[in-house]
Amino acid sequence: MGKVAYKKLKGSKNLRQRLVLATLAGTPVVVEEIRSEETSPGLRPYEVSLLRLLESISDDCLVEINETGTKLRYKPGVLMGGKRHIHDCGLSRSIGYFLEPLIILGLFGKKPLTIRLKGITNDSKDPSVDTFRTTTLHILKRFGVPIGDGLDLKIERRGAPPLGGGEILLQIPIVPNTLSAAHWIDEGMVKRIRGIAFSTKISPQIVNRVIYAARGIFNSFIPDVHIFSDHRTNATGGGSPGYGISLVAETTTGCLISADVAVSDRKADEMEEEMDEKPKLTPPEELGEQAASMLLEEIEQGGVVDSTHQGLLFILCALCPPDVSKVRVGKLTPYGIETLRNIRDFLGVTFDIKPDPNSGTVLLKCVGSGIKNLSRKIS
Amino acid sequence: SKWKESLIARTLARRSVNLMQLVYGQPVSNQASAVSDSSESEQSDDEDFFKPKGQANKGIDDKSSFDDINAEDCSKFPKSDLKDWHARDLIESIKDRFVTGDWSKAAK
Repeated sequence: MGKVAYKKLKGSKNLRQRLVLATLAGTPVVVEEIRSEETSPGLRPYEVSLLRLLESISDDCLVEINETGTKLRYKPGVLMGGKRHIHDCGLSRSIGYFLEPLIILGLFGKKPLTIRLKGITNDSKDPSVDTFRTTTLHILKRFGVPIGDGLDLKIERRGAPPLGGGEILLQIPIVPNTLSAAHWIDEGMVKRIRGIAFSTKISPQIVNRVIYAARGIFNSFIPDVHIFSDHRTNATGGGSPGYGISLVAETTTGCLISADVAVSDRKADEMEEEMDEKPKLTPPEELGEQAASMLLEEIEQGGVVDSTHQGLLFILCALCPPDVSKVRVGKLTPYGIETLRNIRDFLGVTFDIKPDPNSGTVLLKCVGSGIKNLSRKIS
Repeated sequence: SKWKESLIARTLARRSVNLMQLVYGQPVSNQASAVSDSSESEQSDDEDFFKPKGQANKGIDDKSSFDDINAEDCSKFPKSDLKDWHARDLIESIKDRFVTGDWSKAAK
């Protein structure tokens, strides 16, 4: 036990990515100085919840947290997958926070993963479950994840913060052996815009106002805009009132560019402690325009994915077999840059990054690390 | 003079940032010097040995998220100020990114 060489890391930054990469690379990690300088030190409830989730989907994995929660020791086990998992994500972060690492880990399991996640489905901090359903899962298909049944996300209940009460059912297939490298640099032109606007426990009229405002912006660009409305009440609407919208632009080459926002009566939590007054709620019209503007800015940036999905894209490229992947993104985000650094540290994959001055985009090339699905049962 | 302005603007636009360096840091030779710098600064820190926790927290907030080892883990990159997409020239600027725009221009 004492012979295991732990990789030493500091701080809670990018904890999810580090855990994902550590699990896939089979590297045990020690994370020290987790918020040790802050007034409330240690791991946050959502981070502990994520660790519990990792424990439940893998076998023989070891998680040790010290008394104050400022030090974490993680030894990855074998990813098992399997059916009938249930995880309560808590109310400190939305389900999107847990989905991001889960969809990558699920692919490298022994059995296909079916898991029911409970908590907050839509908030502004993390990508909403709608965005996952419409955009994120389709990115996986580019890398040779089996298309068809087995890759699915059902939103059974919606839950807005602060009380949550949402519930989704996620199905992730396993990759038979490895992912396949992607040559994905042509973003094409936007041919249609789709979206979902939702409301929970409030007047359904609000949704129409959000949609109307968003459409108003798109009218000067493209006529093919359809935004669905999803109004939830009673049991399927969770515990709190809220509304939001998730938009996706589909291009001629099948790229999906997404943007989402949500509004809810969030109680002043630890992040907003400094602000004394309650954050103002955005009116529906403003929210619609905001979402539309965000989408247009993503389109303006260029690239085959939006800024939110850069991290996922890079990780998928790095997990490919030793073959050249080439992708194009818009401006690199801080999260994307951190991802590139983490990939280098864990998988030893360095990207060749070149700006493309004509379009203002960035071209990235890498040779995959050739991670195989070792947990898979070999018959 | 005026005729130079367009030239300067064009050169600036052409000059590409070395993204490799931005992401993966300086080459090894420079890194060594950077390390020695930080140890010096640590020595000077000895004077204020006891730091109230709250103050340390504020110092971190001022720094960019790259230096903060406890930065929030969030893949969304929120933009503080959104442009006004009602503006005519802004609409024109990305019109060709849509199928309704000019196809020959978009095919770069």
